[in-house]
Amino acid sequence: MAGRELVEAVLAGRPGAFERLVREYQGLCWHIIVRLVRNPEDARELCQDTFLRVHRCLHQYRHESTLQTWIGRVAYSIALRHLERRRIPIATSEDEEGCAAALNIGSDFDLEAACADGQTVRHLHQAIEALPPLQRMLLTLYYLEELPIPEIAGITGLASGTIKSHLFRSRLRLRDALEAKIGVAV
Amino acid sequence: MNDTDEREWQAQEHALQAERLDLDSRGADARVRRYRLLARTLRQPLRDTLPEDFAARVAARAAAPPTLMASASDRFESILLAVLAGFLVMFAGVVLARDGQAWLPAIRATLPAADLQDLRWLLAFAGCLGLSWVLWQGAWRRPAV
Repeated sequence: MAGRELVEAVLAGRPGAFERLVREYQGLCWHIIVRLVRNPEDARELCQDTFLRVHRCLHQYRHESTLQTWIGRVAYSIALRHLERRRIPIATSEDEEGCAAALNIGSDFDLEAACADGQTVRHLHQAIEALPPLQRMLLTLYYLEELPIPEIAGITGLASGTIKSHLFRSRLRLRDALEAKIGVAV
Repeated sequence: MNDTDEREWQAQEHALQAERLDLDSRGADARVRRYRLLARTLRQPLRDTLPEDFAARVAARAAAPPTLMASASDRFESILLAVLAGFLVMFAGVVLARDGQAWLPAIRATLPAADLQDLRWLLAFAGCLGLSWVLWQGAWRRPAV
């Protein structure tokens, strides 16, 4: 069911329509919120708050953006407010610092062997968890949700260039973490 | 972005595309292979998920009428607001009656062309604006039926 029809069905109070809407977009909201706030219990509660607000305010949706972007924006603002209340910075000042791209990297890297190596993958997961909330969320939207940069910009209100810069830096940082793990001099 | 950063960005993007299309990694650049491991890790589903019945539970909660506690809380909030607004108006009246004679000439002095009559109209206009705003806020806050 297309976004417009789904919205009309929910606003008309058709049985099951809102549940369908939640099921359709719960994955996106979960990825936005859990990557920002980290704590799964808080994230579940905030996800519920997101959809309750969507239910209350759906009549205000004017189809100026996709329904996905609109709901994602609600989830993002709710998670952001949660972080502000807890005084957790969404991005750190070191994000703004430039990262020097590694010029020399070893050529002996077996992708399949590294994937099979649980320790390396675990190390990467830890490095991802250690990223600032914003970068963690942007990577998840880009890689897991496969959202294009303009769509992420619509959700977060950030400029596409800023998102690109965050993606670039965080991937560089993760690659550095990987180099440190596999012991190749950078 | 300088040339080095641009090459790095291209490697990152190339690795992501290669992972999405599940291309053979043999023969790929060492840098791209590293980014492919990163892409593969980032594309793995998250460990924590929402409960299976999340959508059904949220939909039921959205459809449920406001609980007794919630409506009582809303009513209490409205009453508290009304009482506070009443006190504010009452105290403003008391202060105006007690000290108004001292203020009004000073206010009048700051408005060279205005006499007392003008000032009264100005205050009446401000009062109308304030009252309209309060009424509008009340209408806006009332839930739709």
